[in-house]
Amino acid sequence: MTHCRFLLGKAGGALFTVGFVLVLNFFLFRILPGDPARAGVRDPRLTQESQVAIQARFGLDKPVINGIERVNPLRLGSFTVNPLDTQFFIYLRNLLQGDLGISYHRNRPVTELLKERLGNTVLLVGSGQILALLIGIALGAVAAWKSRTAIDYGALVGSLVAWSMPTFWLGMVLLFWGSRWLGLPIGGMITPGATFANPWDARMDVVLHMVLPVLTQTIVYVAEYVLIMRTTMLDVLSEDYILTAKAKGLSTFQILKDHALKNAALPIVTIVALNLGFTVAGAIQVEIVYSWPGLGQAIYESVVRRDYPMLQGAFLLLAVSVVFTNLLADLLYSYLDPRVRTA
Amino acid sequence: MSDWSWSARAVLVVALMVTACGGGSHAPAGNSLRIGWAGSPDTANPCTAVLSEAYTIFGLVYDTMYTLELDGTFGLGLAERWTASEDGKILTYVLRSGVTFHDGRPLTARDVAFSYNLYKGHGDFPFLNSYTRHFESVEAADDRTVVIRLTSALSNIESQLAFLYVLPKHIWGPHAEGTAAAEFENAAMVGSGPFRMLEYRPNEFIRLGANKKYFLRRPKIDGVIFQTIANQDALVQALRTGQVDMITEIPPTAVAGLGRTPGIRLATGIPLSPEVNDILLNQIASERCPSGSACTGHPALRDRNLRLALAHGTDKQKIIDVVLLGHGTPGLTLIPDGLQPWFNTRLQDYPFDLAKANHILDRAGYADTNGDGVREMPGSGRPLVFRLYRPSDSTVAPGMSDLVSEMWAQIGVRTEARSMDPDALTAACCPAFDYDIILWGWGSDPDPNLLLGAMSTDQIPTGGNETGYSNPEYDGLYKRQAIERDMEKRRELVWKMQEIVHRDVVYIVPFYARAIQAYRTDRFAGWMADAPKLALEERASLIAITPASRGNP
Repeated sequence: MTHCRFLLGKAGGALFTVGFVLVLNFFLFRILPGDPARAGVRDPRLTQESQVAIQARFGLDKPVINGIERVNPLRLGSFTVNPLDTQFFIYLRNLLQGDLGISYHRNRPVTELLKERLGNTVLLVGSGQILALLIGIALGAVAAWKSRTAIDYGALVGSLVAWSMPTFWLGMVLLFWGSRWLGLPIGGMITPGATFANPWDARMDVVLHMVLPVLTQTIVYVAEYVLIMRTTMLDVLSEDYILTAKAKGLSTFQILKDHALKNAALPIVTIVALNLGFTVAGAIQVEIVYSWPGLGQAIYESVVRRDYPMLQGAFLLLAVSVVFTNLLADLLYSYLDPRVRTA
Repeated sequence: MSDWSWSARAVLVVALMVTACGGGSHAPAGNSLRIGWAGSPDTANPCTAVLSEAYTIFGLVYDTMYTLELDGTFGLGLAERWTASEDGKILTYVLRSGVTFHDGRPLTARDVAFSYNLYKGHGDFPFLNSYTRHFESVEAADDRTVVIRLTSALSNIESQLAFLYVLPKHIWGPHAEGTAAAEFENAAMVGSGPFRMLEYRPNEFIRLGANKKYFLRRPKIDGVIFQTIANQDALVQALRTGQVDMITEIPPTAVAGLGRTPGIRLATGIPLSPEVNDILLNQIASERCPSGSACTGHPALRDRNLRLALAHGTDKQKIIDVVLLGHGTPGLTLIPDGLQPWFNTRLQDYPFDLAKANHILDRAGYADTNGDGVREMPGSGRPLVFRLYRPSDSTVAPGMSDLVSEMWAQIGVRTEARSMDPDALTAACCPAFDYDIILWGWGSDPDPNLLLGAMSTDQIPTGGNETGYSNPEYDGLYKRQAIERDMEKRRELVWKMQEIVHRDVVYIVPFYARAIQAYRTDRFAGWMADAPKLALEERASLIAITPASRGNP
């Protein structure tokens, strides 16, 4: 019963957060100075009349909500307008119907764009995260077990160096190295215009395009996992029950796997949950260095162009993914550490 | 064997596999030219596109009545011949025969009339309807004859029609009404141009195939691939490693290194679509402030003496050397030197002379009365401290901002520099006039009319005039040049207008940047690198190049 209440409480909190983000998203981007009809374009051909007509096409000529005509600059309006004919309620109505609108900038349905971009980003950042997690946990555990040896110092120094490296710079170095010496592709997801004998070759082409960006991602994230894993593992390894396990004659692998890892996993779960949430936001720097058509790049572009439908859709997706992975982490916590359920 | 040696082996095997597979991953695609660029079209719909990359693609896939050549002149495209009525208000165009769209359907005068009326009837198209503003009606008299009636005779009909792409009525017809036209994706992009759309992956690449049945000069290559490589350094590396055959832009810092690379040639020249970088000085008079606008500009900027002193205090050559590493020429007015014959070669620039700038300010009564190094205005005593804004997406503005701040500090003028998001900057700029000085620029049209309009009084309330400059003499000349059909007389009017705005120091134009592009010589030959204007990715260049084995390397 307590567990059930715990779960319901967490799910309710998550739902409330998403609802809050829904409303915030709508106003947040309208507070920004600027106008989607102009979209940062500076061209004498874009006349005032055209801007007014474009605003009407986007539905931006309607009041934002009852009592507010515009948010930036703030212009108050009538409270008596039909609420169903305001931008806010049109946004909510469309959202409830699963319609995120058409991107102002890309002229395509936002749902379609997000699906495309999200897939690309998850493929790239997800692979990097999984690799980093596996290597990080293993290396952190080994470093802690071999504490104060060359392996430990090597892992520690290597991690600190990797952690301090700017992602953009590391990406550029790997890009120059990989393209020059390994003949790897400079950017993109597939080789334009290439024809493949079979689907396997086509998949291999994508894998080759992923090598450098995934390597960059892995190096950037692995350090974090190594450092956290090593520290928590050192704490755990100093516990009496580890000494008991050693005394029982268990192998190193058994001690690490069955006795130490589960107890050292809690902080890692937190970090993974946070990182996975932000995975959806993409690693914008890596996406730009390697011209990877991901979500991070799309969000940046949408902010510049004041593409409200795309921004609203993308930020909703981000919020949902962060909230969802946090919820998942909470649930995992309650499994890993039963005390959390009753706390 | 220890665990570590196994790990080392695994890494080595993966590296070898990657190396073995890597070589074939970017093999040249037949005789298709691979162009790397940092941008990508925003949309495949010509009605709503705003980015120049989109217009490059439209220029290859669609046809227009005239084509812009690499010497800046206009040649006949779809039109075989044309006549004008005596008053210049009725233009009759006869189309070439046998022109077909890529899907095999014939291109007729009805498609032309449909397209022009589509542009004219939609106020919500950002750019293209500006070219049909003076069209009263467009009709197809028969399959090959188009009759355009104008509201007034135009001096620049060629430049108006050179961007009006002819769309197939049988595809666009169902999407012509209301918002459907703007919302039409047009991913198939069926046109009639020398290249046809094969594959469009937004933000990744565009693959075009040669139209071997094209009615004018046919491409000698199989196709063109435009690949988006968002990072400029990566773009340079892609050229070096042979992953692309040409790149449309190069950061100035990479020029020297690329120039020394065997098998790679640099091309430098006046860009086909020149851009102007300018220093905007807010000089809006309070009585001309549009209703609802803030108009918070520093009052001293309304004084020509101060603007003149700023011009004398700006070392343009130093800006060119530092910011562009020498790849530019000092600027004069908004009409760039690449816009021949409209660029006024008679004009003499205000030389960089700090003593003269200080003398002008002293004589005009701007003195540093409190000894803080900043002059104050005569009368009000307001210090010459100016907000200096720049767009955050500009690569040249940060360097320029530092340099002009240093230069102007030597004449007792202080700046408060701030980088702003371009849209926020537009909101502050015009018609709000909520700024003092902005480092910005314009994209230019092959015809000077649009840029000259940026200084006309009519455009103050619309935001088209960004400085607030107003001069009845200039306004009169602007109206006259727009309808003057005699090229020589129009040129004189345009030159006179440049003299006026230069005399009044409406803008300070620091430089006209040169285009820098680079290409490989191993796969293709016949590059139009020495044409009067440089745009290796444009139609005229792409039609000229040949596979290296067939052409002259």
